[in-house]
Amino acid sequence: MNIMNKLESIKNHDLTALENINNYIKIIDKNNSKINAFLDINEEEAIKTAENIDQKIKNGEQTGDLAGLVIAIKSNINVEDFKISAASKTLETYNGSFDATVIQRIKKEDGIIVGMTNMDEFAAGSSTETSYFGQTENPAAPGRIPGGSSGGSAAAIAAKMCDLSLGSDTGGSIRNPASHCGVIGFKPTYGLVSRQGLLDLAMSFDQIGPFANDTSGIALMMDAIAGFDERECTTIEWDVPQFKDINENSQNLLKGIKVGIVEQFMEVSDDHIVNIIEGSIDKMVEMGAELVELSFDHIDLCLPTYYLINYVEFFSATRKYDGRKYGYKIEDVCGEEVLRRIHMGSYISQKEYSGKYYKKALQARSLIRNEMKKLLRDVDVIAGPTVPKLPHKLGKSLDTMDMYAYDVLTVIANLAGIPAASMPSGEVKGIPVGLQIQAKPLEDEKIIHLMKVMESMD
Amino acid sequence: MKCGLEIHVQLETDSKLFCTCHTNYQEASPNTNICFVCLNQPGAKPYPPNQKAMEGAIKIALMLGCKISDDVTYFMRKHYNYPDLSSGYQRTSIPIGFEGDLNGIRIREVHIEEDPGQYKPDMGIVDFNRSGIPLIEIVTEPDINSPEEARIFLRELIRVLEYSGNARGEGTMRADVNISLEGGKRVEIKNINSIKGAYKALKFEMVRQKNLIKRGVTIKQETRAFLESQMITVSMRLKEEAEDYRYIPDPDLPPMMAQEDQIQIIKEKMPEPPHIKTQRFVEQYGIEKEHAKVITSELELADAFEEVAKKVNPAFAALWMRDELKRVIYYNKMTFAQSGITSSQITELLKMIENKEITTKAAQRIIEKMPNNPSTPKQIAEELGLIGVIEDEGIIKAVKQVIDDNPKAVDDYKNGKKESLNYLVGQVMRLTRGKAEPAKTVELLKQYI
Repeated sequence: MNIMNKLESIKNHDLTALENINNYIKIIDKNNSKINAFLDINEEEAIKTAENIDQKIKNGEQTGDLAGLVIAIKSNINVEDFKISAASKTLETYNGSFDATVIQRIKKEDGIIVGMTNMDEFAAGSSTETSYFGQTENPAAPGRIPGGSSGGSAAAIAAKMCDLSLGSDTGGSIRNPASHCGVIGFKPTYGLVSRQGLLDLAMSFDQIGPFANDTSGIALMMDAIAGFDERECTTIEWDVPQFKDINENSQNLLKGIKVGIVEQFMEVSDDHIVNIIEGSIDKMVEMGAELVELSFDHIDLCLPTYYLINYVEFFSATRKYDGRKYGYKIEDVCGEEVLRRIHMGSYISQKEYSGKYYKKALQARSLIRNEMKKLLRDVDVIAGPTVPKLPHKLGKSLDTMDMYAYDVLTVIANLAGIPAASMPSGEVKGIPVGLQIQAKPLEDEKIIHLMKVMESMD
Repeated sequence: MKCGLEIHVQLETDSKLFCTCHTNYQEASPNTNICFVCLNQPGAKPYPPNQKAMEGAIKIALMLGCKISDDVTYFMRKHYNYPDLSSGYQRTSIPIGFEGDLNGIRIREVHIEEDPGQYKPDMGIVDFNRSGIPLIEIVTEPDINSPEEARIFLRELIRVLEYSGNARGEGTMRADVNISLEGGKRVEIKNINSIKGAYKALKFEMVRQKNLIKRGVTIKQETRAFLESQMITVSMRLKEEAEDYRYIPDPDLPPMMAQEDQIQIIKEKMPEPPHIKTQRFVEQYGIEKEHAKVITSELELADAFEEVAKKVNPAFAALWMRDELKRVIYYNKMTFAQSGITSSQITELLKMIENKEITTKAAQRIIEKMPNNPSTPKQIAEELGLIGVIEDEGIIKAVKQVIDDNPKAVDDYKNGKKESLNYLVGQVMRLTRGKAEPAKTVELLKQYI
């Protein structure tokens, strides 16, 4: 039963919201101590919400488009009265005092928020190992990292602890753990979803997006959260399509769809990953897609450009954690990676260097953005691997550059502001491999459509 | 000496620059006009910039003769660490206007900023009510040559700001001044909160630097703080210790384009700036510059003058409005606008004098009754029995009687005691109940003694 079907059964009262939440609470209670997907859970409140929704349905009242679905939220998105720790010691005891715009919209659609998920500290990582509250286990590949930084949200979906979850994606933080955990993760076009209430990593890259086990769930969540927010200046005033209609009406065909394959995206990836991805691409061809070979010359520029901008914006964003208002001064208690980014950001943004590093990085970013636009001009989507290598084993320590290497294929979408998703493509020795699909800005629905078709072939 | 100023004044808006909190921070109890945006809580993003503040800044820039940037405008983050700054950076726009002029002092740029909260070190608290209130910053070129010139410039600038109707007054002013004497480096003085403070700080600094130069000490580039209580400046930091604000464009606020038609609308609605109005009054009405300056001190007063001057001799109107009207509103501690006196009331009063329906003495008494009084001057005059001017015969009669009744005063006057004449004039006024023209009375008294 996919999420759309489940929503219908709840609305028909074939399944009650209370039964739905109770099932998940059972699984969470049983498995969370091992998986560590959730950092904060409020079962009582979730049950109360479920009962209210059931009552509404019983009374024949209108209910929202997420009615009774159980949702987990990454710990860097403000939800009133939950712990918004960003998995840091700095905000260890910080409680949300307001709802992020996405949360307001979820609540309006009668979604049930069950808890807050684990992540890399302040989202600065790709493994969820840097959480102050301990690492998260990969439910799909036990003993390995779940990826990150939204590792808890991906693991919660993979471990069937909720219907839907939200993550944030700055350089791949949704798609990377989706790939490693074998679930779907979607990063919308920059500006499609309001960031009001999202704790900053790098403001010009950050975007909130959903995780789910099937495309209908992604579509339902996107319908709830996407769209202009008059209280967030970077959101786009745009007539957002109904994603669930695209999902429903997708004729299971890719006829006339042009799929770009970028040579360099394959070259940087491990062979066994490329093999799996090629299998997915073959399926697209079977369904009528036309392949277009593309070349992207700036792949070496992507990581340095991304990280320089990330450092500077993160440095700026963390100045409020000065030890006066929130628990601890960030530099005094943070992990190695967060400290590295703050120090680098502070160093690069100095007056004497700004021309040398930061401005150059901004120039490189426009170059990459333009190049991606050019590549996308003649195709509907670009398909390829999400992550170039498989997740490492928990406990294995990687040096910084090896860690950053996970991100080479995902940062491009953030640099260019384009939509991108990861969906399960296959497995290498039981370890999930994700297929990344990227599209032009505001053509998010093309990704939903393609995923829906691909999903129907399984 | 060369001196340049950076002046911050709060813009007059109902809500803050990036959120909907109210701006009446002084009346509100500490930390009540706050929200997650102006507290910059984790995850909070600024709302779109307050349009009234943006328009106010454009208007003020235009009134200062600035060119308006036709390129994109955006906000920068200026990072520094202080308890009153809830985000650790201050949002400050790139110049909205540039290359302006106010009475020969060049304006380098005008931009918009957000006010931080208020840190009260003695109490160890921060009040964030002020956090996020829009400020306008006006930066001059170093065209000012003395503390006196700085004072004149600042008074004129405050007048322009008041005229705009978009800025709060001197009470919200904070200024940084920079000063360099020949042979010395540039010294910046911070923490100045009034025009008087700017004057005193410059005066002190000029003397201090002159004395040092005299002793052969070179003046180093440094930042100093003005201590208002003692009227002195003290060193804060040398150039080598200058703060690096690590400016970056604010990624939460996308660039905005100033709209040509928006600027046009502001231009049309914008009042004529006072320094230009003063000049025009001198030329158009042939009145003295000093009179013009006083009359243009308040936009409503200047407007009223122009109405009155349509029907009454402008020089006569200027004299009366500058002396008598200003005296009355000053005595009542109100502005002209608050006095409720209308231009038609003034016109009627001055006409009555011109037509010799009342004496100037009577007019002075009438105008004192005019603030917030719906009666016409004529009605007031009738109420007080002041209608009428006693012609020569009546005055002569009174003069003769006064001379007869006050032989001692007359003698005193004859013996050279000039003040006695004033006493005698007063007696004539008493007898005529103020309806004798004072000038005529003096003339006649002298004649008959």
